Amino acid sequence: MADGERIPARFQVGERVAVLELNKAGHVRTPHYIRGRAGEIIEFVGYFLNPEDLSVGITSGPVYPLYRVRFLLKDLWPDYARNPGDELCIEVYDHWLASPASESMNSTRAE
Amino acid sequence: MRGYHDIGGNAAGPVPKLELPWLFWEKKVEAIRNLLGDGTRRLISLDELRHGFESFGVEKYKRYSFYRRRLEAVIDTLEVKGVLTRGEVDAELARIRREWEDGESHG
Amino acid sequence: MAHTEHAHDHGHEPLVIEDDAGNLEGLHLIEAVQAVLARKGLISAGEIMLEIQAIEAPGRHLGARIVARAWSDPAYKQRLLENGKNGAAELGIKVGEAQLEVVENAPGVHNLVVCTLCSCYPRSILGQPPSWYISKAYRARAVREPARVLEEFGVDLPEGTVIRVHDSNADLRYLVLPERPKGTEGMSEEALAELVTRDSMIGVARLGTEAASSSQTAREPN
Repeated sequence: MADGERIPARFQVGERVAVLELNKAGHVRTPHYIRGRAGEIIEFVGYFLNPEDLSVGITSGPVYPLYRVRFLLKDLWPDYARNPGDELCIEVYDHWLASPASESMNSTRAE
Repeated sequence: MRGYHDIGGNAAGPVPKLELPWLFWEKKVEAIRNLLGDGTRRLISLDELRHGFESFGVEKYKRYSFYRRRLEAVIDTLEVKGVLTRGEVDAELARIRREWEDGESHG
Repeated sequence: MAHTEHAHDHGHEPLVIEDDAGNLEGLHLIEAVQAVLARKGLISAGEIMLEIQAIEAPGRHLGARIVARAWSDPAYKQRLLENGKNGAAELGIKVGEAQLEVVENAPGVHNLVVCTLCSCYPRSILGQPPSWYISKAYRARAVREPARVLEEFGVDLPEGTVIRVHDSNADLRYLVLPERPKGTEGMSEEALAELVTRDSMIGVARLGTEAASSSQTAREPN
C-alpha cells in the first residue's frame, strides 16, 4: 500500500467494540489485559504508522486509525469491588478491534 | 503470547516511592537515542528501541536497570542494522576502562 | 561481557537499581557507544550536549503554567481540553509527542495516568518520569487497584468518586488537570502555578488543604 494511505476507520465515537486476541509476535501496543474485553470508543485520535511495523524498521506505508477506548474496570477484573463506574481509558488501533456482535466476548480471551 | 513487559494487572507489592536522581550517563543514553531517531538520522525509532528490550530476553529485562535496558537495546538495534558491532563497542569499552584505571591509579 | 551482578534486584523489589559499579559501567558503555558513533561520523559530542540540555529543560514548571492558565481562563481551558498540544503551544510550550490529552479532575472524577507496557510519560512537558512511575508495581497495579495505589500515595478519594485510569500505551501522552484548590480566588496565574505539583499532574496527588502553604510545592531535583 502506498505511503501515507489511510486505512479506513471502521468505528465511530460511542460505538461498542471488542478487543481482538491477535496473538501477534513482536512489538504490539495492545496490552493483554484488555484483549477479549468490550468497551466503548470515546475518541478518534487520528491516523498513525503502525508501531508493529515501526518496531522492525518499516517507517513507511499506510497509516492506521487510532481510537481511545473506555472500559469499565469491573469488566476487566471480575473481582473488582470498588465503584462500578471506575474506568480504564486506553488507545487501540483499528485492526485490533471488532464489533462485539461479531465476537464471542469471553471466549476470545486466552489466558 | 504475552510479553514479559506486558504486566498490567499483575499482582505486585507496594509502589516503591523512590525519586532517584537522573544521572549523567542516563541522560546521555536518552540523548543519543533521541539523536539516532531524529529526522536526519532515522536509525532507531522509539518502537524499535522498545522492541529491542521487549525481545532481548526476560533475564536481561529483569537484571538491567531502566536506562541500561535502553542502552543495551540501542546497541542491539544498531548491530542488527549493520551500523556497528558489539566487538567495536567492546574494544572502545576496554580502552575507556584502561584509561579510567590509569587515571584512578595516577590521580 | 556485561557485568551486571551488581545491578540489584532484590527478589520482590520491583525496580532494578544500579549501584556505583553499575553506574560506572553504564557510563563507560555509553561513552564507548558514543566513541564508535563519533568515529563513523554519525554523531558529535556537541550535538549530544545540546540534546542533553534539551531533555533537561522540561519539568514541573511547564505543566504548572498550563494548569494555572486553565484555572484562570475558562476559554483557554476549553481549548486545552479539546487539543492539548495546541493549548500548550499557546503558551509557547512545544509538545514533542504526537498529541497531548489533558484530562480534567472534577468533583466526583479523579484521573490517574500510567503506562503499563513501558514508561510513556509527557516528557516534553514534565521531563523524565519519576522512578516509581517506571516501577513494576505501579505499572502492574494502577490499572487493577487504582484506589489502593492512590491510598499508598496518601490520596483518599471521597466515597462515590469515579476513578478514570489512563493507560498511556500508544501515541497520546496525558496530563491531569487537577482541581483548583479552594481559597485561591484572586491569586495571580504565577502564584497559582507555584501550587501545582508534578504528582497532581500524574494523578497521584490532589491539591487541597496544603494550598495555603507554599512549603508543599514540589520541586523536582532536575
